[in-house]
Amino acid sequence: MTPSVTEVMRGCAAALTQPPSPDAGPDFFASRVGMISMLANLAAQEAEHAAAAAVAENADIRALFAQAAAHDVALGGRLARAAQGVDTDLTLTALDAANARLRRLLIALHERVEDAGDAALDRAILALYVRMAAGRRLQLGG
Amino acid sequence: MSGSLSERLAAYLSRTWGEPVQVADLARISGGASRETYRFDAVLASGRRPLILRRDPPGSLIETDRRCEFLALKSFHGKGVAAPEPLILELEGAELERPFFVMVRVDGGAAGSPFQPDAYAPHAAKLGEDFFGTLGRIAAADPLALPISDVFEAPALGDCWRRELDYWSGVIEADELHPQPIVRAAIRRLRRHPPPPAQKLAVVHGDYRTGNFLHDGQGAVLAILDWEMAHLGDPLEDLGWALDPLWRDVVSGKVSGMLTREEAISVWERASGLKVDPAAFAWWELFASVKGQAIWTSSAKEYRDGGYMEPILGFSGWLTARRHDEILAAKLAEMGP
Repeated sequence: MTPSVTEVMRGCAAALTQPPSPDAGPDFFASRVGMISMLANLAAQEAEHAAAAAVAENADIRALFAQAAAHDVALGGRLARAAQGVDTDLTLTALDAANARLRRLLIALHERVEDAGDAALDRAILALYVRMAAGRRLQLGG
Repeated sequence: MSGSLSERLAAYLSRTWGEPVQVADLARISGGASRETYRFDAVLASGRRPLILRRDPPGSLIETDRRCEFLALKSFHGKGVAAPEPLILELEGAELERPFFVMVRVDGGAAGSPFQPDAYAPHAAKLGEDFFGTLGRIAAADPLALPISDVFEAPALGDCWRRELDYWSGVIEADELHPQPIVRAAIRRLRRHPPPPAQKLAVVHGDYRTGNFLHDGQGAVLAILDWEMAHLGDPLEDLGWALDPLWRDVVSGKVSGMLTREEAISVWERASGLKVDPAAFAWWELFASVKGQAIWTSSAKEYRDGGYMEPILGFSGWLTARRHDEILAAKLAEMGP
């Protein structure tokens, strides 16, 4: 997982309060402050969207598990149970923990789908990856 | 050891060069996330020498061997590649407490940001000829005749891909703090469909891209920088990295903000005397995005662990990691099962 909003904001605060090194030139400081400014802008985007993105991604993975459960005898039970899950705790910590569990199972499923040569399900997983990545998009100056 | 960095550096240089040296105008500059970089002048009886100090930081984005960076510069300085002249390599740290090296400073150049739209206009095309031509000349060199071969064993041509993939997938395995299904799918695909053996062994710069060189604002490369990931391998590796969509100008669509993809490949082929096999290159292009994601994964781990919280690590572990997930997902979907 990329750093969380909390970690980034704490990192920015730490960077801003760090005493300046006597050897750091003005160009270095200007560059560093510019980087902190970009991080703060990204954090603003993430604060607005992170929970919604995590909920949407988790739901998307669960929907795919529901579809895949019938295909995979070995993983079918785990997939079906995971597909029934619902995010009730909407803190980012809880959502990320649920997301980690779902992603681990998704990796295991994709490996089995590739080994089985199930092209249709493989394509569905690849399409899911595109949606997952798009859902987490950050933009400079956004 | 007590004293300012300037004083300690002056003491080291005086001892090493056997004559009194003063250090003037020492200032830290932005020079990548893997080394602390300082500009300074060494003042000797014979005059001032404009120099750069590259010192290991307490933590680093990537684990690299400064000896390899030093020898890479030595390999190409004065040989048709704008590599700054390396002067001193100090592996023990001595007065500066951490390993470092000193090289000649190239003044008067500008470095374009990979995230700045149209960074090289209006000389982008001319600069692209020089940038990709230089990369072609690096690829054409015989690595076994160069100093850098002192630190690397030559891999078999058929093993170049495996060695790099093993290394970078190992980085992801070691540093991943949250499961990453997209890059893992890409790694499996790379293993299932290996490329043909490298057409020749080459020095691979390892981070040849927008932002890692200085230009004169008129279309000429003044200095190729940041050789810390240099190694021996398949020459297509560098070309794949330079053409990665992460460095593509979002406004012009030009690779590295300079040329079309076809133009860049054509310039590289002319300068290197090599050919870009589309199937092999597709492998190296996908690998480039995996390698990028591995670097950002390490960066995020370093930042999240709180050991080295430079803002650049947060940035690369965040925005660039998300962007590479998008790039990888798009490539995988296009390739299909």
